[in-house]
Amino acid sequence: MKIQFTPAQLALRDELRAYFRELMTAELRAECERDMGEGGGPLWRAALAKMGRDGWIGLGWPREYGGRGLSPLEQFVFVEEVMRAGYPFPFLTTESVGPTLAEHGNAWIREEIVPKILRGELLVSIGYSEPGAGTDLAALRTSAVRDGEDWVINGQKMWTSLAHFCDYTWLAVRTDPDAPKKHKGISMFLVPNSDPGWSCTPVHTLGGVRTNATFYDNIRVSDDHRVGELNGGWKLITSQLNRERLSLINFGPISELFNQVVHWAREAPGEDGQPVAAQSWVQANLARSRALIECMKLIVYKQSWAMTAGTLGMADASAAKVFGSEGFIEVYRLLGEIVAEAGLLRAHSPAAQEQAGRIERLYRTASIITFGGGANEIQRDIISAAGLWMPRASR
Amino acid sequence: MDFGFSEIQEELRGLARKILDDAVSPASLGAYDEYRAPRFDRALWQTLLTAGLPAVAIAEEYGGMGLDFMELGLFIEELGRSVAPVPALAHCVSGLLPLQKFAAAGLRERVLPAAARGELLLTGDFWSGLSSADPTRVQARWQGDTLVLEGQCAMVPFAREADWMLLPVRVGGDTAVVLLDPRAPGVTLADLQMTHFEPHCQVTLAGVVVPSADMVMTRGGEALLRWTRERCAAALCAQQLGAADHALRMAAGYTSERRQFGVPIATFQAVGHRMADCYIDVECLRLCTWQALSLLSDEQAATTEVQIAKIWAGDVGHRVSYACQHVHGGTGIDRDYPLWRYCLWLRYNEMALGSSGAQVAALGRRLSAGEGLFN
Repeated sequence: MKIQFTPAQLALRDELRAYFRELMTAELRAECERDMGEGGGPLWRAALAKMGRDGWIGLGWPREYGGRGLSPLEQFVFVEEVMRAGYPFPFLTTESVGPTLAEHGNAWIREEIVPKILRGELLVSIGYSEPGAGTDLAALRTSAVRDGEDWVINGQKMWTSLAHFCDYTWLAVRTDPDAPKKHKGISMFLVPNSDPGWSCTPVHTLGGVRTNATFYDNIRVSDDHRVGELNGGWKLITSQLNRERLSLINFGPISELFNQVVHWAREAPGEDGQPVAAQSWVQANLARSRALIECMKLIVYKQSWAMTAGTLGMADASAAKVFGSEGFIEVYRLLGEIVAEAGLLRAHSPAAQEQAGRIERLYRTASIITFGGGANEIQRDIISAAGLWMPRASR
Repeated sequence: MDFGFSEIQEELRGLARKILDDAVSPASLGAYDEYRAPRFDRALWQTLLTAGLPAVAIAEEYGGMGLDFMELGLFIEELGRSVAPVPALAHCVSGLLPLQKFAAAGLRERVLPAAARGELLLTGDFWSGLSSADPTRVQARWQGDTLVLEGQCAMVPFAREADWMLLPVRVGGDTAVVLLDPRAPGVTLADLQMTHFEPHCQVTLAGVVVPSADMVMTRGGEALLRWTRERCAAALCAQQLGAADHALRMAAGYTSERRQFGVPIATFQAVGHRMADCYIDVECLRLCTWQALSLLSDEQAATTEVQIAKIWAGDVGHRVSYACQHVHGGTGIDRDYPLWRYCLWLRYNEMALGSSGAQVAALGRRLSAGEGLFN
C-alpha cells in the first residue's frame, strides 16, 4: 500500500504537461471552443494524429495490441493531462471501444482498425440506445440478418454522440430474435459511417452539445465486421461500459478548474472590498469541492490500479460512475456559487469572465453523465448486488 | 501508486481480526455498557500486546515490529470494525509514536521498551479541540529546573488507567511537552460519561511539579503537537472506516434476510440504493484514510489529506450510522442487537478532533491562503 505516485509517474506527468502546453495553441483552443468542447475540427484532428505519432495514445496498452506496455495507471495519467489541457480527447474511441476491439477483434480489426486508432486516425461512435431501448438496453431491435457471406443491418440508434465526425459505429444489433433471454441474442458489429445506407440527424442538447439519431438502412457488411462471438455481444457491451464508466470520471479538468477558481477568488474583490476568498462561506464551498474532487481522484486511481492487478470489480466501476457524475454536479454548483452572477453569463459574451463562463456551460452539460453510460439507478442496483451481495428484484 | 496490501499487511490484518473476532462479542462488550466498568478489556489488551500489534510501528530496538504508521492504521481499522474495548489509540498514537519521534534517547530507553511490552500504559492530551492546529491550554512556569503546571485538559482517554500522560503545555510564548504522572500531587481526575462509554477524564492541574527527567521537549513542542494531532486525526479516520464498513455489512446482511410483503426488503430499490450510497461513502472514506496513512507513514506533508479524510470520516460516519439504523427498523436500536454500539462509536469518531464542519472551515482557510491546491 503506497498511495503516492512513483518518481517515474511524476516525471511522466510533468513531461505530458509540458507536451500539452505546447500542443494546445491558441488556434486549437479556439477551434475546440467553437466545437463546444467536442472536437472534430481540422486542427483537432491534426493534434490527435500528432499524439498518435508521438506514441501517446496507446501508452498503457499491452505491446501485443500495439501499445507501449505501461500500465492502465500511466494511461490514466495521460488522459488526465490531455483533458486538463482542455483538449476534447476522444476517450470513448481510445479508452473504451478501442481496448475492447484490440482484445476481441478478428485479424482484420486488429490489423486494420486498431493501429489506426492508436495513430489517432480513426474514430468510433457508439450505437447502443434506441428509441425503445435505453436503460433496458437488451430490448434493442436494430437487426443484422445473414445473407450469404454478408450481414444486412437495419434499424435506428439514439444518442449516437460524435457520430457526425466518426469513421465507424460500434453497433449493438439483434442477431437472434428468438433467443430465450433477450440479452443472449445480441452481437457487436463495426459499421462504416461512410456506407450509403448510414445517415444521421442532429439532436441539440441543453449544454449546446450536439448528439445524433443514426439510421441504418440495408447496410451490407462482411463477417469481418462482426466482433466477438455471434450472440455473445452482451459481454462486450458490459466490458466496454465498465471501461467507459471509468473514463467518464476524469478529474483532470475539474481539478484545473478548481485551482483557477481559487486563484480568482483570492484576487477578485467581493462586495465588501475584501477578496472573495476571505468570506467564510466561500472557504467552505472551496473546501467541500476540494474534498469531493480528492475522492474522485482516488477512486479512479484505485480502479486504474485494479485494472493493472486484474481485480476491477463491477461494483467499484459503478461506484466511480455514480460518485463522479453526482460529484461533478455538486462541485459545479459549489464553484458556481463562488463566481456568482458571472456564472450566468455565456462565455465570450459581453462582461463574461473565463472561468465563470466555463462554469455556466459545465453546469448545463453535467447532467448527461448521471444517465449516460448507464443510468445511476442501474449502477446503484449493481453496487448493492455485486458489492454488498444483496438480492435484487427480478425484472 | 499501490492500493494493495503487502504480505505482511495481510498477515497483520488477519491476525488482528482473528484475535478480535475471538475475544469481542456483544456479551463481552455488554460488561461495559452504561459505565458498569471502565471499558478496558485487560485480557484482550494483553493478547494484542503479546501478538505485538500495539507496538507494530515501534522500532525493533525498543521491542516493536519496526513497521510504519500505515500498519498501525490498518490495525486500528480492525479495532474500529470490532469496537474493541482497548486503549490502542491513546497508547499507540498519542503516546508511543510521539515519544519515539521526539523524545531524547535517555527518555526513549526509559519508557518505550516497557510501554511497547504494555507494562506502562500511555495516553496523551491530543484528542480534544477542533483541529490539528488547536493550541494547548495548560500553562507552565519554570521553577528551577522543574515546570509547574496550571490548567485543565478537557477530555483525555484512559487518563485514570494510564501510567504516563503526554502533555503539551504553554511556557511563555513557547510550547513544552512533558510526561505527566496522572497520580502526581495536584492532579485531579474527573471521570466523564462519554457517549461511547470509553473511559475519559477531565484533568485539572493545580501546581503540579514536573521534574526535568520527565520533560520530552522544553521548547518547540508545537512541532510534536501538530505531528501527533495529525496522526490522531488519521487514526480516528481509520477507526471510523472499520466501524462504518462493519455497520454497512450488518445492514446489507440484515436487509437480505428480513422479509416483508413476502420478499427480502433488500429487493426494494429504495433500500438497495440507500445501501449503495453507503457503499460509495465507505469507499470514499477508505481511500482518503489510506492515502493519509500512506503519506504520514512516509513523513510526507499531509495536512490537506488528513483534513479531507476527517471531513469524510465525519460525513460518512453520520450518514452510514443513520442509514444502517433506519433500514434495520426497531432492531437497529434494540440493545440486544449489536448495531447500537456502532452508532455510538461512529458518533465519537465523527466529532473527536474536529467535526466535518470544523475541518471544512480549517481547510477552507488554508485554501483561501493559497495552500492545498491540486498540483
